[in-house]
Amino acid sequence: MEQVVLLILGVLAVASALGVVLMPNAVYSAMMLLLNLLSLAILFLLLHAQFMFAAQLVIYAGAILVLFLFVVTLLNPEGEFIFRDKKRLQRAGAISFGLFLAALLIGAFIAAFGKVQPNFPDSSGAAGSYGSVEAFGIALFTQFLLPFELTSLVLLVALIGAVVLGKRK
Amino acid sequence: MSQITFTLLVSAVIFSVGAAGVLLRRNPLVQFMSIELMLNAVNLALISFAGSMGTAEGQIFVLMVLTVAAAEAVVGLGIIVAMFRKRNRIDVDDIRSMDG
Repeated sequence: MEQVVLLILGVLAVASALGVVLMPNAVYSAMMLLLNLLSLAILFLLLHAQFMFAAQLVIYAGAILVLFLFVVTLLNPEGEFIFRDKKRLQRAGAISFGLFLAALLIGAFIAAFGKVQPNFPDSSGAAGSYGSVEAFGIALFTQFLLPFELTSLVLLVALIGAVVLGKRK
Repeated sequence: MSQITFTLLVSAVIFSVGAAGVLLRRNPLVQFMSIELMLNAVNLALISFAGSMGTAEGQIFVLMVLTVAAAEAVVGLGIIVAMFRKRNRIDVDDIRSMDG
């Protein structure tokens, strides 16, 4: 049962990723990105990373995608039909690069991690399993406190940058 | 094939699709979405590795990637809006100078 759900979600994630790239209209691309984010979030849940499932939904689907949709509808870019325009060299180069990269990564992953088995200590989903908020919070606020604090600096710089870019002269 | 291997392969394919998308499209908004695809593929790979180790450390990395993705989306979209104000159209082929 879990294998079937995993397979469906994997196919859905890959198909929606292709949809982001191939859709002519940017709004459709954003919708395909939403589908991709949702299927990845459920994949996180199947890997017992419950906190990351929630974070993916709130941060990506809730915040970043809404920002994308705002900008897409604000700028209203004209459609782009990549299989009809004249730039054949760019198209062929991009597609062959993508296939090459996919073959390389798949070969490397199968060679290096083909035999890896999942290791979910206490995978009953109760508090204390590795993906729970409890385990994540303990790791974040003890061992990784400094990177967590530096995160606030990154967000502050982004905030200032957005204000400076958005200011009219 | 275990579920870890399967999710790793899915992340490899999504990453390649995103990389090809950045090269294929000339609308910077869709290029940004392709970059988000690549970041998400890396998140999936990191969570798969965390699952194979059984520790929470891999997920800390994912939180960092989420933060950087949010910051990058804000600044990048700000740049695209500024570009649109100056030229009234958006196409990455138009950008030839860094003059604001």
